[in-house]
Amino acid sequence: MAWWQLQSHSGQVRRNPGISAISHNQRETGGSARFARRALLRATIFEPRDHEVLAQPPAIAASVATGVVAEVGEDAIAVVSEQGTESFGVSSATETWLGARASPSALRPGDPVIVRHRATDAAPGRKHAQRIWARVGRVTGTIVAADGLEFLVDTRRADRPQQRVVVTPASSRQIQVRFPRLAPGYLIDVIGTRHGDHLLAVAPATAQPPYHAGHSPRPPLVGGPVSEPISGSAVWHEPGDEPNGLLGLAYPAIDPADGAPPADGDTGCVRLPYLSFGAAVLIRNECTERAAVLPVTGDAAMAREFCDRCVKCGTSPKGRVADLTMAAFVGLGGNLEDGCFNATLATMAS
Amino acid sequence: MLAVVREVQVPLLAVLLIGGCAAKAGHPRWGRHESGPTVICPLRLRRPAAIALCATELALGVGLLITAGRVGAGAPASAVRAATALLFGTGAAALHELRSRRPDAGCGCFGELSRTPVSWRAITRAALLCVAALSAIGIPPLRMPDSAGQAWLTLAVATAELGVLAALSPEIGQAMLRLGHTDPCELRDVPVGRTLSALRASASWRDYQQVLVATTPDDIWREGCWRFVVFPGVLASRPVDVVFAVHLADRGAPVRVGMLDTDADFAPSHEAQSPDTPIEDPLQLSNHV
Repeated sequence: MAWWQLQSHSGQVRRNPGISAISHNQRETGGSARFARRALLRATIFEPRDHEVLAQPPAIAASVATGVVAEVGEDAIAVVSEQGTESFGVSSATETWLGARASPSALRPGDPVIVRHRATDAAPGRKHAQRIWARVGRVTGTIVAADGLEFLVDTRRADRPQQRVVVTPASSRQIQVRFPRLAPGYLIDVIGTRHGDHLLAVAPATAQPPYHAGHSPRPPLVGGPVSEPISGSAVWHEPGDEPNGLLGLAYPAIDPADGAPPADGDTGCVRLPYLSFGAAVLIRNECTERAAVLPVTGDAAMAREFCDRCVKCGTSPKGRVADLTMAAFVGLGGNLEDGCFNATLATMAS
Repeated sequence: MLAVVREVQVPLLAVLLIGGCAAKAGHPRWGRHESGPTVICPLRLRRPAAIALCATELALGVGLLITAGRVGAGAPASAVRAATALLFGTGAAALHELRSRRPDAGCGCFGELSRTPVSWRAITRAALLCVAALSAIGIPPLRMPDSAGQAWLTLAVATAELGVLAALSPEIGQAMLRLGHTDPCELRDVPVGRTLSALRASASWRDYQQVLVATTPDDIWREGCWRFVVFPGVLASRPVDVVFAVHLADRGAPVRVGMLDTDADFAPSHEAQSPDTPIEDPLQLSNHV
C-alpha cells in the first residue's frame, strides 16, 4: 500500500543541523531557499541523521567572523562585516597571520580578515579572537604561463578563471622545493597574501603532483556500495563571487546532470558518491574531532586533480574529499596557513 | 604447415592493429592518459603523437587487409608488411625504454585496458608481432582453404597463436575484470530522463498522479543512489509539494513519496541576538569535551 503523510516540519527543522547551516547561508546570501527547501522535502521521506552530529553538545561556542578591519586598538580590534561592526578582544594569546606569524598590531584598517573567536569565561558577552588571518589567499590550478617568478594560473572557477601569482624571492626556495616544475601544464597550489590583482605566494599548500594537469591517476574500481565515511584531505578556497561568510563546501563529484562542467571522464582519485548542489554532507576534522553538516555549494574541479595526502595529524588517504569555504574550514578548527586537515566525509543519503 | 602459419599472420596483425587504434580512440581521455610510449614525449607533443600512432596503426591494419589478396600483391603487400614489422619492432624498443624511464606507465597498446606497468610480457608480445609481420613478407596472395582439413589447420594455428598472445597480454585480465564489474549506483552517471521514465512507470506515480497539478517537475536533485523529483500538487484544497525519491539502481527500483505543505517554514539556527546573549554556533559543531 502506498504510504504518504502530510508533514510540516517547522518544529523539527530547528534541530536539523544541515538546515541550520543552510539557513545561516540564506541569511548571508538572500538565496539558497531552494536548498533549504530540499532538506525539508528530503526529511519527509528519510529520517534526518541529527543524532550523529549532536551526540555531544558543543562545550564551547566557537564561531567565525569575516570582514574588514575598521580599527586596531591595544586590546581589541573592530571588524566591519555584513552583520555590522563587531569588536574582538586580542591578547598575547591571539595568533595573527599576515603572510607569516605576526602581532595583532600589524593589522591595518582596511585589511580583510577572518577571525576565529570565542566567548571567554571571564566575560561571556565579549568575543575574544583566538586566531586572525589577514589578507590570506590561495591559488589552486594549472599554470598556463610563466615568467620568472610570476605565473598565470587557470583555477577552473567560473568566477575567477585565471589568476596571477607572484612568488617572493624569500619564499621561492621553499615553494620550489615542493613545486619543482613551475611550467605551463603543471599544477600549483600556494597560499599567500592578496594584493590587488595578484596573490603574493609565501608557502606551498602541498607537494606538486608528479603528473601533468588532467593526468591524475585513476582510482581503483569499487565493488559494492561506497564505504562511508570516506577519508581524505579537506582543503579550502577563497570566496570569489561567494559571500564571505558562506558555510559550505565545493564537492569533487557533482552529479553530471546538474550541469557541472564536464570532467572529461575524470572523476578524481577518490570515488565519491554523486551529489547535487545543495546536498548536505557530514564533514569531520579528524585533527580537532569537530564535525558539521554542510551544504554542497560548488564544484571542486581542481580538487579532482590532486591525489595528495594531508599530514596534519597522521597521514590521510590520498585524495581531496572536500574544498571548504574559508569560514567553514576555520569553523571546523582548521588553520588556513596549513592548507588542509585530515577529514572524513559522509553523505546524508540513506 | 609453415605456409599456413605465415598466412595466418596477415589477418591477425590487421585485427590487432585496427583493434588497438579503436580501443585508444574510444576513450574520452584519449591522448591524455599516462600510458604508452607517448608519455616520454614532451607534454605538448603527446596528443599529436598519440593521434599519429593510432592513425598509423589504422592505416597499416587496413593496408594489410587490402593487400592480403590479389589486389596489391607483390611490392605493395611487402611494403605494408615491412612497415608493420618496423612499427612493432620500434614499439618493442620503445616499451623497453618506457619501462626503464617510467616504470609506473602502462604500454597503452589497447587504451584504458593497458594501464598495467610494462613488463617483459608486453615487450615479448611486440617482438613476436614484429617477427610475425616479417614472416608474412613474400607469401602468395591469401585465398580460401582448399579443403576442410586445411581450414581446420588454419583455425588451429590461429587459435594457438591467439592463445600465445593472450598469455602475453595483461589486457585480458583487465577486460575480464571490467566485464564482471558494475559501479555501485552512487557512482553511476544516470541521465535524468531515465529517472523520470522509471518514476512514471512506478506504482507510486500511479497512486499520486491525481494529486499533482503539473507533470513537469519543479525541482530535481541527487544524493548518492537517490534522485529526488518534486512536483506541485493540491491535497484537500491545500497546495503541497509532492516529492518522489527514485532509487538509481536497476529496473524495478523502489520509489518513495513524501509531501510537504508549501507554506511550511523553518526557523534560522539563531535569531537576531541581544548583545548579552551568547551566539549560537551556526555550524552546530560537535566538540569533544
